[in-house]
Amino acid sequence: MAQPRRVVHYVNQFFGGMGGEEMAHVGISVASAPVGASRALQQALGEHGTVVSTLIGGDNYVSEQRSAALAAIMAHLQQLQPEVVMAGPAFNAGRYGLACAEVCKVAQGLGVPAVTAMHPENPGTLSYPADVLIVPTSATSVEMPTALAAMVRLALKLSRGAELGPAHVEGYLPRGIRRLYDRQRPGYLRALDMLQAKLRGEPFRTEVPIHAPETVAPAAPLADLSRATIAMVTTGGLVRKGNPDKQVSANATRYYRHTVAELRSLSGTDWEAYHAGYFNHIVNANPNYILPLNFLRDVEDEGSIGGVFESIYALPGVSTPVAISKRMGASIAEDLKAGGVDGCLLLAT
Amino acid sequence: MPVGMISAIYDLALTTGANRVIRGARIEHVCGDPNLGPEKDYAYGMRIVRTALEALHTSVTGPTLFDPMDMALAQEVSHAS
Repeated sequence: MAQPRRVVHYVNQFFGGMGGEEMAHVGISVASAPVGASRALQQALGEHGTVVSTLIGGDNYVSEQRSAALAAIMAHLQQLQPEVVMAGPAFNAGRYGLACAEVCKVAQGLGVPAVTAMHPENPGTLSYPADVLIVPTSATSVEMPTALAAMVRLALKLSRGAELGPAHVEGYLPRGIRRLYDRQRPGYLRALDMLQAKLRGEPFRTEVPIHAPETVAPAAPLADLSRATIAMVTTGGLVRKGNPDKQVSANATRYYRHTVAELRSLSGTDWEAYHAGYFNHIVNANPNYILPLNFLRDVEDEGSIGGVFESIYALPGVSTPVAISKRMGASIAEDLKAGGVDGCLLLAT
Repeated sequence: MPVGMISAIYDLALTTGANRVIRGARIEHVCGDPNLGPEKDYAYGMRIVRTALEALHTSVTGPTLFDPMDMALAQEVSHAS
């Protein structure tokens, strides 16, 4: 029988038995005997592992004092020398999920393997899909034993230095990593197998999974256009002439805000497109094709709309992953809302 | 806040869940068409933008296409009546 593995468990103040929201401000502390959820984890580990210490962090403290919290966690891990770090499960608790993912990254940075668990819609899963090993759980703690069992299996495997198989076999959330290996059967035969299974109504596993798009409840319409402030956002890669802000031409991770308060239209002498996904030449001659400022000014003059928002937002909409696009979209939307914008035109090339 | 998404690849916008989609001209010139000459180019772009504003003013229950050409026809019909 192998030596039990040295495990350090990270939990929040609630699962550490300190209290609920009223204790969410507490800093990082260490319990050397298993407390709260760590007792359940110790049970799940059985003789294969020992929870040598439990690190407890208040949800608010860790999210608000992130760098101090992570520095404290790193110092504890360096001292405790675990063979594997386990964080959570966080279920659908957002701050806790983000903290668990951060703790895993700190551990991995020290060369210690780590695993966490949370609901697939926890924000913690969106931030670090490729870096962190996450076991999917239910939204609430009712399935604590199932989640712990799945975490334990992966943690023990990792602590022995074993390589993990694909996500659907090992039971973690896909990290978007593709490994090269020989499937022993050429692609056209595998495709025919899938087609036959599909025609027979049998289950099959696609090799090119496509994410189903999210549905968004439509916003209520504007009651009175003539009093509405309208903003414009373009994914056409609109930049100032010569691209002084050094926008990339694809795979954007940020957007740019420009003021058009003084402008009646966009001129090709001052603006151009920098976008790797379409032929930019026509837009370079007339940038209003991807940001219709000239039209909106005319509509504003005739009184059909209340006004044109002073800022425009631009990025090249090509190759950016959905998660990053969502983050940028949310940030633009917040900005528009803060600016008192009523409606928005999104120009997509 | 209602958003009108103007795109020449309008079917992609609809299938990915955009609720107010306005059919643009072409990928390379979404709001207008330089091949039409300056006047018609402007009229076409303006029609697209007016359709987009109308979309912001219209209640929808899910992904909906607003086609500037249809709107033009609808306007002609209403003017004729």
